[in-house]
Amino acid sequence: MEYVNPLTGFRVDGRRPNEMRQLKAEVGVVARADGSALFEMGNTRVIAAVYGPREIQNKGQQVNNKEALVRCEYRMAEFSTGDRRRKPKGDRRSTEISLVIRQTMEASILKDLMPCSQIDIFVQVLQADGGTRSACINAATLALADAGIPMRDIVTSCSAGYLCSTPLLDLNYVEDSAGGPDVTVGILAKMDKVTLLQMDAKLPMDTFESVMGLAIEGCKAIATYIREVLLENTKRLECQRG
Amino acid sequence: MVVSGCSSGPSLWRPVALTLCCSKSLDRFLRMAELGKPSILHPDKGKVSIFVDCSPTAEPTFEVPFQDVLIPGRGSEELSTELAVALQRCLLGGKSGAGAAIDLSSLIVVDGKVCWDLYIDGLVVSSDGNLLDALAAAIKVALSDTGIPKVNVSLSAANDEEPEVDVSDEEFLQFDTSGVPVIITLTKVGRHYIVDATSEEESQMSSAVSVSVNRHGQICGLTKRGGAGLDPSVIFDMISVAKHVSQQFIGVLDSEIAAAEAEADE
Repeated sequence: MEYVNPLTGFRVDGRRPNEMRQLKAEVGVVARADGSALFEMGNTRVIAAVYGPREIQNKGQQVNNKEALVRCEYRMAEFSTGDRRRKPKGDRRSTEISLVIRQTMEASILKDLMPCSQIDIFVQVLQADGGTRSACINAATLALADAGIPMRDIVTSCSAGYLCSTPLLDLNYVEDSAGGPDVTVGILAKMDKVTLLQMDAKLPMDTFESVMGLAIEGCKAIATYIREVLLENTKRLECQRG
Repeated sequence: MVVSGCSSGPSLWRPVALTLCCSKSLDRFLRMAELGKPSILHPDKGKVSIFVDCSPTAEPTFEVPFQDVLIPGRGSEELSTELAVALQRCLLGGKSGAGAAIDLSSLIVVDGKVCWDLYIDGLVVSSDGNLLDALAAAIKVALSDTGIPKVNVSLSAANDEEPEVDVSDEEFLQFDTSGVPVIITLTKVGRHYIVDATSEEESQMSSAVSVSVNRHGQICGLTKRGGAGLDPSVIFDMISVAKHVSQQFIGVLDSEIAAAEAEADE
């Protein structure tokens, strides 16, 4: 299948190889949560809600009482993919992604400022079209910022692949299931440090460097967008405060 | 209230997604239809199943419990089941299929062999009380956006064989939702009863009556929850209030649906 048209250079959904899908973010969608955000990357839609810092619910889970306990749960709605899923939670993929998101966000949250407390991050996928992991991390960053939880930096994530001898930025579901390599990168935007790096399939080393470089550029672009969204939100809150 | 819709579906699964945000509770609904076999008891009717899932984004106690820890994650299972069963009672009618709000015979493709299985999945994303009303309204709006694809059946198949079906990608039949009811919940707090309670008000409730009323003012289902007993005259009073409120609510919903459809057409 022609993932990149050789004549025009367009991908299956009409994008250029280094073009990301349309981003859309909204802060404060779940009124009850301390912080929440809705993040869309093309057709992938994700809601993240943060509850915390609050009292530890289960002392048995607390490992280090000088730091906050960060917990994360990733769930997909039954209707999020093309085929109706029967088990939206508890399966291995969801457990792995929950772990991945938790570790990525833990790198940025200043946990020692909130000892003996618990921060819960719940991510719910409403529509999945490739790149759910990245969308979840971006949504979680926004939700944590909305909750006012102190962080070292904005964490953003983006994926990139390599099909038809072209590095492609931000794969959608069709391109992801093509069987080519899929590199997911999560970075701390300003500090320029990588907190998440996952890849499947195989790539020669120099190609890997260019694909990862492309993904990092995508992450930085998302970070700029997230910063704008947060600034807008702060201005709105300031106006409301009077 | 915001209503928006989109539909897509290249495979035999036909997802039709819709978002409905009520002013407090946020629910998302999706219809998915699959070709299946009708049940032996009702060979001329399709099948509809309703499922509700409460996401932990709405309430932290809704998360999956860890294996070795007794966390009150059970709350989500009970609540989801309670909501799903209440919705089934109001929308799908009795065991004989009588009184269903959705016309199940419109889902049949070949009598006794092939029918549409309609799955209605609800997801509660944000909760501030009165979930049942919000879910029922979301179902009504989502059904109005649902299109069942046209199926062409090849007539050459023998009587006992599975007929060949060709599901059309282009043509859709709109669902008839004029019979779908809405649910109005009246919550008794102290000596008064209120409509559309927030979660703060619900925490003080003694009992609640949920009445499902359709466009013609007919009652399609009734559920009473809560421990306190109610005088029968109070219940009759509540029913008449629910009927009155539901007519206004249906009017508002219909105008919002029409507005969203007009926007989608542009």
